[in-house]
Amino acid sequence: MPKLTIDELRKKRDEARKGIYLRDGEYRGKITVHLGTCGIAAGAREIVTTFLAEIERSGVKDIVVTTSGCAGLCSMEPMATVEMVDSPPVKYGKLDADAARRIFREHVLRGNAVAEYSLGVGSEKGG
Amino acid sequence: MAVGRIEIMLCSGTGCVAGGAFRIKDAIENELAKRGLQNEVAIVPTGCNGFCGQGPLVVIKPDGIFYAWLKPEDIPFLVEEHFLKGRPVKKFMFVPREKKEPIPLLGDIPFFKKQMLVVLRNKGIIDAEKIDDYIARDGYAALEKVLTSMSPEGVIEEIVRSGLRGRGGAGFPTGVKWKICRGEKVTPKYLICNCDEGDPGAYMDRSVFESDPHSVIEGLAIAAYAIGASHGYIYARTEYPLAIKRMQTAIQQSREYGLLGESILGSGFNFDLEIREGSGAFVCGEETSLIHSIEGKSPEPRQKPPFPAQVGIWDHPTVINNVETLANVPVIISRGADWFSKIGTETSKGTKIFSLVGKINNTGLIEVPMGITLREIIYEIGDGIPGNRRFKAVQTGGPSGGCIPASLMDVPIDYESLVKAGSMMGSGGMIVMDEDTCMVDVAKFYIQFTNDESCGKCTTCRDGSEALLEVLTRITNGEGREGDIEFLEELGLAIKDASMCGLGTTLPNPVLSTIKYFREEYEEHIKYKRCPAVVCRGLISSPCQYMCPLHTDVPAYLTLTAMGRFKEALEVVRKTNPLPLICGRVCMAHCALKCRSKETGDALAVKEVKRFLTDWELNSGQYPQVVPLPKKFEEKVAIIGSGPAGLAAGYYLAQEGYPVTIFEKFPVAGGMLAVAIPEYRLPKKLLQLEIDAIRQAGVDIRTNSPVESIDALMEEGYKAVLVAVGAHKNRKLGIPGEEAEGVVDPITFLRQVNLGERSQTLGDRVGIIGGGNTAVDTARTALRLGSKDVTIYYRRTRAEMPAIAEEIEAAIEEGVKIEFLVNPTKVISDNGKLKSIEFIRTKLGDPDASGRKRPVPIDGSEFAVELDALLPAVSQDAEIPSGFGVELSKGGAIVTDKETLMTSRKGVFACGDAVTLPTDVTTAMSEARNVAELMHKYLRGQELAREYEPVRPSVVVEPIEMGEEEAATTRPQMIRLPADERRHTFEEVDLGYTEESVMKEARRCLRCDWELQKLRRKAAKDAQEVEEVPQVVEPS
Repeated sequence: MPKLTIDELRKKRDEARKGIYLRDGEYRGKITVHLGTCGIAAGAREIVTTFLAEIERSGVKDIVVTTSGCAGLCSMEPMATVEMVDSPPVKYGKLDADAARRIFREHVLRGNAVAEYSLGVGSEKGG
Repeated sequence: MAVGRIEIMLCSGTGCVAGGAFRIKDAIENELAKRGLQNEVAIVPTGCNGFCGQGPLVVIKPDGIFYAWLKPEDIPFLVEEHFLKGRPVKKFMFVPREKKEPIPLLGDIPFFKKQMLVVLRNKGIIDAEKIDDYIARDGYAALEKVLTSMSPEGVIEEIVRSGLRGRGGAGFPTGVKWKICRGEKVTPKYLICNCDEGDPGAYMDRSVFESDPHSVIEGLAIAAYAIGASHGYIYARTEYPLAIKRMQTAIQQSREYGLLGESILGSGFNFDLEIREGSGAFVCGEETSLIHSIEGKSPEPRQKPPFPAQVGIWDHPTVINNVETLANVPVIISRGADWFSKIGTETSKGTKIFSLVGKINNTGLIEVPMGITLREIIYEIGDGIPGNRRFKAVQTGGPSGGCIPASLMDVPIDYESLVKAGSMMGSGGMIVMDEDTCMVDVAKFYIQFTNDESCGKCTTCRDGSEALLEVLTRITNGEGREGDIEFLEELGLAIKDASMCGLGTTLPNPVLSTIKYFREEYEEHIKYKRCPAVVCRGLISSPCQYMCPLHTDVPAYLTLTAMGRFKEALEVVRKTNPLPLICGRVCMAHCALKCRSKETGDALAVKEVKRFLTDWELNSGQYPQVVPLPKKFEEKVAIIGSGPAGLAAGYYLAQEGYPVTIFEKFPVAGGMLAVAIPEYRLPKKLLQLEIDAIRQAGVDIRTNSPVESIDALMEEGYKAVLVAVGAHKNRKLGIPGEEAEGVVDPITFLRQVNLGERSQTLGDRVGIIGGGNTAVDTARTALRLGSKDVTIYYRRTRAEMPAIAEEIEAAIEEGVKIEFLVNPTKVISDNGKLKSIEFIRTKLGDPDASGRKRPVPIDGSEFAVELDALLPAVSQDAEIPSGFGVELSKGGAIVTDKETLMTSRKGVFACGDAVTLPTDVTTAMSEARNVAELMHKYLRGQELAREYEPVRPSVVVEPIEMGEEEAATTRPQMIRLPADERRHTFEEVDLGYTEESVMKEARRCLRCDWELQKLRRKAAKDAQEVEEVPQVVEPS
C-alpha cells in the first residue's frame, strides 16, 4: 500500500464511512420487513434480499433494512414499513420483488409513496 | 462484501474474551452460515464495551439492542429469532436488578446513560484491528489538521487552553509539560506513552489499547509534532498480551498508510514508534524508573528535578504521557479547546475513565465528566451495593490513593477534591467497599502490595512499608497496642516526606486516609480486639463464633456433631453457654448473620443443631446433674431479676465460689423467657429444667420476691448487687386516642397467658403494631386463644422485619395476616372504647442511620380498620424502682460505666435489657458473664477493668472432608406441628431435626476457623511452643 497523501486520506475516510454507517445510528430512512412466520411463508425473505440488493445497486449509504415480527395483518404479507426521516411511516402489503424494487426507487429514493401497495400511513404505537 | 442489514458488535475486550466471546463468535458464524444470512449479518469484534460484569455481550446495530451473558447454546435461538425473524429476544436482554422487564436498548440502560464518551468515543463501534474503521470515525483528521494548518506552538497552545491534565494520576497540565520539552535545546527529543498500568483493579489503559489503539497513536503523533520528537516508545506491561497485539497491528497499519514513518501525509514530519514491554513491576509506572527500564537499567527512580521533559531518556528531553491523556488529544484538536474545557470542573477539564469494581452491582469501565459525584457513580451507574448492604467507602487511586468515606459521597470528583479528601485521582481505579469490608484489612492489603513493589532504593519506602505492614499485621492479629495508631501516622508522614518517587510518597495514603475516616475501627481492633466488619481472622477466628455474643465455638461443635459425637459437641457448647436447652429454641442465631455459606445458599442451622443436641441428651437420659462447687468466698451477692442475664450472672458467680441469691418478683423464674416467650416456642418444663440446673449450681432463686430498695439488701449483708430486672414496660405508640379501652399492653397480655390465663379476652378482630418478636408472639398467642382475625401492621417490608424469619413464616402458616408499609396515626374510640384505628400507608425512602430504609408516609393514603383489640408492640422500656437510687438515662435505662459495668452506686452493677433496652437472650447472657467477672474483681478488691481478648477456638477439631452431597447448600426443613393443629394448642411447634438430617447439616460447615488454627499451629511449631496448642481431637 502506498503512503497516503492528505487527499487520499480524506477519500479513504469517505469510503470507510460507508462501511460503518449501520453503527452510527444516523440514517435517513429505515425499511422494516415483517418477518413473522406468516411473512416468511409468504416470501418476505425475498423482499429483504431485494431491498438489500437495491441499496447496493443504488449506492445509497443512509438507508437501513431491519426486520420485525408479525404485524398482525397476516393476510397482507409480505409486508414492509418505510420510514423516511421527517415524514410519516408508510405500510405496504402483498409485496413481491418487483413491488419492493418499485417502492425502493420511488419512495425511498425519490420520496413518493407508492399508493398501489400502500395499506396506510402511520404506525401502531406501543411496544 | 454485499450490503448488510445487521452488524453484531461483539465485545472482544480481555474480560469478554476470557468469558468466551470468541466461542460466541464461532457459534454465531456457524449459525448465520446455516441460515444463509452471512451476507446480511456481519460480526464486528470491538474493544471493551465497559459493562464487563455482563459479558460475553453483543450490541446489535443499527437498532442498538444489548444482549448480555450469552452462551454458545443460546446462539441458534438468537439467530433464528432476531436475525432471521426480526424478533429481538427478551431473555438475553439486560434485566435491571429487582425488575422483571428487560431493557432492550443499550442507550436506555442506566449504566450507560450517565456516561460521557470522549476518550472511549469509538468503544464498541469500531473494530480495533481495522484502521479504516477508525478513519471512518474521523480518525487521523486531527493529525491531518495539525500537519496542514497548525504550528507546533499552536498545538501546544490549544492543549494548554483545553485544560487537559495528566490522566496517570498526578494531574500535571499536559500542554505545560509539552511546552517545557519543546523549549529544551537538546535534540533529538523523545516521547513515551506510559501504559504500565499496575493498580490492582484498574484496567483503563488496557481497554483503550484494546478498543481504540489508533486514538493513542494519533495522540502520540500530534504530541511528537508539538514537542519536536521523531521517535516514540510505548511502554506496556507484558501481562497485557491482547492490548499489545492490537497495538502492534495498529502501528503496522499506520505505517502502511504512511501515518507513521517518514514524511507523514507528505508533510515532511517524521515520526515512528516502538513498543517496549515491561515485566510488570509497579515502580515502572513512575516515569524515571520507566525511563531506566527502557534504557535497560535497573528500574529505580532518580531524583527530580531535572524532570524528564528536560533530561529524560538517553539524557534527552522526553515527554511521558499516560494512555488516556494521549487518547484525549485528537478530540481536543478536532473539536477545539473551547469545547473540551466546557466539560468538567474549574480545575479539572474533560472526562475521566474509571474502572468500577468491588462491592458494586454493575461492574465495569465507565467514562464520566469530571465533577460527577460518587453518589451518581455508585447508585446510578453502578446500581448500588449487592445485597442492599451499606456503602462504606471507595478506594480511588489504587495503592497510592486513599479511601473516601460514604460521608463524602456528594463531593464533585476532580483532582483537587480527591487530594483534599486524602486520596488522589490516580489512574482511575475505583474499588467500592461495603459494610463487610474492614478498613484496617484494606490498608494492610495495600501496604502488602507496595511493600512487595518497593524498589528498595529509599530506606523510608523499603523499611518504612515493612514497619507499617508489621504493625498492621499485629493489629489484625489481635495484638494491637496502645500507641499503634499514632505510630502509623507518624511513620506514614515520614515516609511521605523522605521518599524520592511517587511510590514512596504515596504509599502511606491508604493507611493515613483509613485512619482519618475510620479511626474508631482501628481502635476497635486495638483496644477491644473486635473487627466490626467481621473480616480479620486473627480477631474473629470464624464469623459464627465471633458473632455469637457468647463466642461459642460453633465450627468445633458442628464438626463433632457431623461425626456423631454429640456428647462432646454439647461439652463444647457448655463451655460458654449455661443455658443450651433454652438457646437451642429461642436464640436469635447471631451466628447465622455472617455465615459464609450464605454466599451460595443457606446459613448453617446452628441453633437447630444445638437444639437437637440438647434433645438427644434429654431423651437418652444423660442430662447432666450439676455438682455445686464449694463456696470459696463469704461475700453474699444479690441479683435482682431472674431473666437470662440474672440466671447467667448467678451461675458464673456461683462457679466462682460466691453465695448468690436471685430475687424474682413474679411467681416464676426466667424473666422474659418465662413471662413473654410463649409456651409453644419454649415449653415450661424445659425452661424449669435449666433453671433447676442453675439452682443446683448453688444459686438460690427466690420467686415472688420483689425488691424495692437496694439499701435493704445491703443491710441484709449483701456485698454486691446486680440489677438485671429487664425491660418489661411496654412502650406507647405516641398517637392520639391510645388510652381507649381495648388498647392492650402486649407484655401484660403475654405474661397473663404465660402465667396460666387461657380464656379469650381480646375479641375476634385483633390488630398488632410492630415487627419484632413480641409482635409475632402476641399475634400467634391471640390466635391460639380463639381470636379469628389477627393482623400485624408493620411500617416497613418483610425484609426489614426484626422478628426471627422462621417465626414470621410459622405465624403466616397459622393464619396471621401481615400488612406491610402502614403506620398508625390515631385510635378512634366510641365512649372511651376502641372502635377502629387509622393508618397511613408508607413507602421506603433513603436508608436511615441504622442502614434500614426509612418509611415515608404517603399523603392522603389514610384508611381505618375496625378492631376489638389493639396491641402496640413496638418496644419496651425498663422500669427501675426509685429506691434503687441508681442513675438512669433519659429513656429510663440504667447507666453503667462502659469499662466497669458498675452503676452510679458503688457495689451495684447492672446488665441485660435494663441497661441496653430490649435485646435478646445471648446478648444478655454475654453481658452477664462480663459483669460476673467484674463483680468478682470488685469483691476481691482488684482493679475494675475489663479485659478484651480476640476470639479463639476453644478446642482443635480437624475438619472432615466434605463430599458433594454434603455441600448441598440448603438447610433441612424444620419438622413442625401441622398448622391447623397449632391454632388451638400451646404444644411446641418446632419438632426439631432428625439425627440423620442434623449430621448432614453439620457437615455443610465450611470451617472458616481452620485458616487461623493452621496459622497458629504453624506459628507455635516455629516458636517451639507446641505444648501451648490445644490437644487435637482426632476424628474417630
